[in-house]
This record gives sequence, C-alpha cells and structure tokens, in this order.
Amino acid sequence: MKVSTKGRYGLRSMIDLAINSTEGHVALLYIAERQNVSVNYLEQVFSALRKAGLVKSVKGAQGGYTLGDSPSRITIGRILRALEGSLSLVEGSDSKTETDNSLQDCIKINVWDKMTESLNQIVDSITLEDLVNEYKKMNGTAD
Amino acid sequence: MKISTKGRYGLVALVDMAIYGERDYINLKSISERQGISDKYLEQLFIPLKRTGLIESLRGAQGGYRLSRDADKITVKDVLNSLEGSLALIDCIVETKEERCEQFDCCVPRILWQKIMEEMNAITDSISLADIAKLFKESQKGSKEVIS
Repeated sequence: MKVSTKGRYGLRSMIDLAINSTEGHVALLYIAERQNVSVNYLEQVFSALRKAGLVKSVKGAQGGYTLGDSPSRITIGRILRALEGSLSLVEGSDSKTETDNSLQDCIKINVWDKMTESLNQIVDSITLEDLVNEYKKMNGTAD
Repeated sequence: MKISTKGRYGLVALVDMAIYGERDYINLKSISERQGISDKYLEQLFIPLKRTGLIESLRGAQGGYRLSRDADKITVKDVLNSLEGSLALIDCIVETKEERCEQFDCCVPRILWQKIMEEMNAITDSISLADIAKLFKESQKGSKEVIS
C-alpha cells in the first residue's frame, strides 16, 4: 500500500510550481534541480499533469510551466488521480462486485470501500494552496 | 496504491475462522473450500499471522488453526499490520530518525501522508473480526429470507 514515485514527485513538483510560478513560467530544469530528480523523469510526470489540465506550458525562451488552475481549486485528489489513476485501495472498487463470494463482498463493502472513501475524502478536502501555506509556515516565509 | 492480495485474502481467512471456527481449531482445507483460496496460499499467509500472534495451530487429527484471542479483540488493523506492514503510503513516516531523509522536518507532503495514515489506522482499528462476522451473518439471514 504505497503511493508511486510518480505520485510523490508529481505532488512535490506541483507545490514547487505553485510557489515559484507566481511571476511567470518555470522551466522544468529548475524544478528538477530543486527536487533532485531528472528532467526526463519530470517530463513524463508533467505530461500526465498537463493532460489533466493541472499545468499549462509555453514554448520558447521564456517558456516553461505554470499552474493550469488557481491553487485553491487544485485539490490533492486531482493531482494524485492524474498520476495514480483512481484512488481505490483494492482492484475493481469502482465497478460492482467482481466475486461471487459473499464474505469477500461483505468485506469489500464494509472495509475496503470505507477505507477508499475516507482516503478520497481526505485528498479532496486539501488543496494545493493549503500545502503552499504549510510550506511557508515551515520555512518561515509566511506573510 | 493498493492493499495486496495477501492482505485481502488474509482478512477473509481470519473472518472465516471467526464465523465457522469461533475458538475451535479448524482445518485449513475447509477454509480453502469455503473461500476459494488455495490451501498452499493460505499456508503462506498463516506464517506471518502466526508469528504476530493472531492465530495458533495444533498438529494432529483434531488439529488445525484457530484465532489466538476472541474475534472482537482482533481488528482489521492487526491483520493488515501483520500482512502488509504499516498503513503508510510512504515509508519515511514510519522510519526511525536515522533512516529519514534530511528534508523530513520541512517536507510538506509528509503532513498529507501522515494524515492519511492516521485516518487509515483509525478506521481499520475500529472494525474487529467479530464486527465483520456479525455483518456477514446478518446479510446471509436477509438473503435466505428472500429465497424462502
């Protein structure tokens, strides 16, 4: 039960971008340096984020990325779903029951679905703005 | 970001034991037949479950496995911790101080992962094997009434 490397770096990059793109586009190279990850890898991550509309890119000398929406409207749930797919803790949680075993169905409804629901509630209740504010508090740069 | 097959089937096997064995020893084959899980696989699951003290075994003709304490004293969290390890989505929040990365104290995503783990721990600790067994029995009663 682990979040993927893509999910971890994607979330960190989105926080980085939210903090650093207030005055224009940010080149991936800078995010890669700050987050200690290769540009090639970040390109994959950003391609998924762009498809989900979470970031926008501009080509050219002054180009790079900015957020695709305001930080208060980007929930952590949107970011993680773009990178991890649906956030369910067991396979087939989105569809109806996949087994014909009634005990397994009973456990799915009363345990796995409850955990999945709670996980989704948490990530949908926290926005990128919330995490940026936490960052500012932790790093002593709060207004 | 999934619970493993081990965790899923392990919980099924233990709830089965709570329903059909209560505190008597039951044989692995009968769990295997009822739940459609191979007995070889169950044997593998039972190694960590035994090591962490959730079940005990007895050899011989009347032998088999049983829960080592009452079903209301074993929670889903106990089972998942035994088979999956912690319910952390990321390792650093359960590592010792020496193992952590140097950015641990100023890492913002860590707050999120910690919050999720605390919530997962709370939910799974609030559901016991006895709770699931009860829900299952109730659901069976309902469906039988519909059939008759």
